[in-house]
Amino acid sequence: METLTPGGASNNKPGAPAADATAGKRFKKQSFWRTALQQKYLYLMSLPFVIWAFVFSYLPLWGWTMAFQDFKPARGFFDQKWVGFKHFQELFTDDRFYLALRNTLAMSVMGLLVGFVVPIFFAILLNELRGMVFKRFVQTVSYLPHFVSWVVVAGIVTKMLSTQGGAINELLVGLHIIKEPIQFMAQGNWFWYIVTASDVWKEMGWNTIIYLAAITGIDPELYEASRVDGASRYRQMWHITLPGIRTTISVLFIMSIGHLIQIGFEKQMLLGNNLVLEYSQVLELYALQYGLQMGRFSYGTAISIFNSVVSLILLFTVNGIFKKVSKESIM
Amino acid sequence: MVSKKAKWVAPVALASIVGLTACGGGSSSSDDKAAADTENGPITFSLFSADSNNNWANMQDEVGKKITEKTGVTLNAEYAVGGDTQKVSLMIASGEYPDLIMPKGDTTKLVEADALVDLTDLIDKYAPNIKKLYENDMNRLKFSKEDPSIYIIPTYSGVGQTSFDAGGGFELQLEVLKELGYPEIRTLDDYEKALKEYYAKNPTINGQPTIPLSLNADDWKIMIGVTNPAFLATGLPDNGEFYINPETYEAQLHYKRPEEKEYFRWLNKMYNEGLLDKETFTQKSDQYLAKISSGRVLGTINQEWDYSEAENTLKASSDKTMQNRIFGHFPVTLNTEYKDHSFMDVGFPGGYGIGITTNLSEAEQIRAIKFLDWMASEEGQVLNNWGIEGEQYKVENGKRVIPQEVQDRKTSDNAAFTKETGIGMYTLMSPHYGDGVKDSTDNYYTTNFPEQIQAAYTQPEKDALKEYGAQTWKDIFPPADELGTSPWGAAYNLPAPTDPSYTVGFQKSQDIVRKRIPEAILASPDKFDGIFDGMIEELNAADIVAMEKMFTQQIKNTVELYEGK
Repeated sequence: METLTPGGASNNKPGAPAADATAGKRFKKQSFWRTALQQKYLYLMSLPFVIWAFVFSYLPLWGWTMAFQDFKPARGFFDQKWVGFKHFQELFTDDRFYLALRNTLAMSVMGLLVGFVVPIFFAILLNELRGMVFKRFVQTVSYLPHFVSWVVVAGIVTKMLSTQGGAINELLVGLHIIKEPIQFMAQGNWFWYIVTASDVWKEMGWNTIIYLAAITGIDPELYEASRVDGASRYRQMWHITLPGIRTTISVLFIMSIGHLIQIGFEKQMLLGNNLVLEYSQVLELYALQYGLQMGRFSYGTAISIFNSVVSLILLFTVNGIFKKVSKESIM
Repeated sequence: MVSKKAKWVAPVALASIVGLTACGGGSSSSDDKAAADTENGPITFSLFSADSNNNWANMQDEVGKKITEKTGVTLNAEYAVGGDTQKVSLMIASGEYPDLIMPKGDTTKLVEADALVDLTDLIDKYAPNIKKLYENDMNRLKFSKEDPSIYIIPTYSGVGQTSFDAGGGFELQLEVLKELGYPEIRTLDDYEKALKEYYAKNPTINGQPTIPLSLNADDWKIMIGVTNPAFLATGLPDNGEFYINPETYEAQLHYKRPEEKEYFRWLNKMYNEGLLDKETFTQKSDQYLAKISSGRVLGTINQEWDYSEAENTLKASSDKTMQNRIFGHFPVTLNTEYKDHSFMDVGFPGGYGIGITTNLSEAEQIRAIKFLDWMASEEGQVLNNWGIEGEQYKVENGKRVIPQEVQDRKTSDNAAFTKETGIGMYTLMSPHYGDGVKDSTDNYYTTNFPEQIQAAYTQPEKDALKEYGAQTWKDIFPPADELGTSPWGAAYNLPAPTDPSYTVGFQKSQDIVRKRIPEAILASPDKFDGIFDGMIEELNAADIVAMEKMFTQQIKNTVELYEGK
């Protein structure tokens, strides 16, 4: 935020007489309005977004009141029955909730680790390629799956892992690694890996783009200097490319921590089946099935509040740690 | 970095979207409703149906045009995709309803939100045809003992329906029957033997491995393809997930019956012998259908409406043997002690149908009920079922007949035919008579009557039926007069209680069943008992038993309501 008001406090020179303290305060106050006036076009330009954020992000918070009521539709706000923390109590005593929480966290942590390391690795490798045409080709091919809907991806994955003519099973049997085709989709404890792997396949190329852009921003003189000093390609990657994109990495990392608990449910719903329910049930599916589909709006809201609060805590914790350790933060 | 901050606000916003829409409220009445007062002026009603319909052509089909011409009504219909259960909940949350609604199982939610109009007086004053149609079943239209209003006109079932054909039971390929010389198929043993014998002789079909038995267990269809056959094979009628004691009306989840364990044990055996498709519990509906359309599935246990799409592909094939790879239906049970109860007479089942919402003004409600009443008239019903005279049917010597070329299209090119003509498309939203009821001209209202059904069979079906000495598949099943009656109708059709202790208990039981039953079937035979008994133990949890008790009460209330006490 500070960058937006460069006028501000910096006008107070360190050597200013102490007697001016009150005057300084007034000056400060004036200066806010003055700078606001000076930058009125900037303020004006940001206004639509402030309104947008207020309408779509803050106003709906009113709906949180539902979690503390036995909400019945088509009834006025004051006619609702207030029940305090009843829905939260119910939520925290339900085994299924903890199961869903476990699955959500497991899949998102796995997705975070793999989905984070692989694109960085891939970006660095791509950057080292010298043939421009080949590089562009690989990049395009690798990010295309991002535009394929999960419905289609789920179809492809199920077909690939099928026991009847599925490519993976055919390959494994053909190489005599296994004797009988494996029913991948029926193994609960494999479900997390299947989801993570398909997610990596789908999103790897897309996530690479931002790192490639960051790498382009590194001063080429650094590479030249290191080459003069006799650094090998690996040394250059390690000492120049990686530190060069460190800020990007940490910002993206903090942001994805904020989304840790909100991993969506399309993948789980489309790839899952009744057999692997114990591993595929995630919080949002739980909210859908035990909240909305049963018309229990209050319960569903309670789950969402829990999600949001956990996300906030995670975000601030990680941000705080990063601030201490690397002096970098997004807030 | 301001935008980064907004990043964490977005999830918060998402979390409370329900909240926002709840505050929104609103009305969506449009100007063209102003014409509501005039008797037959043009008017548009919006309609939502919880079932999907791939053939809807915005009333530009022939029957649709005729309906608009006669009533002035144009329907702006929205059909749900797949088994969409959140749509109605969302409508309630936002308070924005369509004018007409077919909510299937979500009626109670709408009633609680005061979204549906009580139709009792409207029917009495403005709908002579509907009144006549349900004159003997008015009690079965009422919502509940506490609230005897009529919210829904039960259009999903026809009044006085006599089924002339079987669409359920256990299915076996006609080619299998032919090769084995049309053996008797009455018990699970017969069924298994037929599959085994044919499979041994024909390990591949058209170069691809044969699949002796495949079931559809995708999502909720596991009920149709896996758990429902368990009560069918042990001689019970369809009461949804419950077994209802006919004397005490005590309801319990039907899987708890020890007889059914034997059915699941049989599936377990089939799996371990390699006869049951290994992908049964992981495949999606479309994979299942693709397998059937390839002609290499010898048997399935399902209802015809779920796989007819695949069968249509086979029927349309130019290859003679492929045409022979469609299924026949058999009343298979565990052993000969049991009788298949598919054709039990449950009376007029009532249940799902169409309702009018509070979205409409009083004048518009009258227009809407008059529209539904016209659909229930003889003229309307004949139009919906038969189409337009001189186009889709002719009258010869006072009898309605369908010309051969129309019948051929109906059989082999059904989807396109429906889309073009609209025949059958409006039946589900119209109060109507069932199969076997005759109109004032002594013709059947519907096109499903014995002669017509036989005419609609393909040649291979006719050949197979001849061998079994039957005219239709139904002739093989035990007839209704051997099976008794049911004072509560069909429990799967009753509105379920919306109390959270019921819905949560029910959902919990379903989560358990849908996980444990596949697990038990896929286990090695020695582990089957352990898993299955473990499931029963889980199903005896306090909240599930309480849920069963609530349903028992529901049944008792229903019986009182139906008897008009």
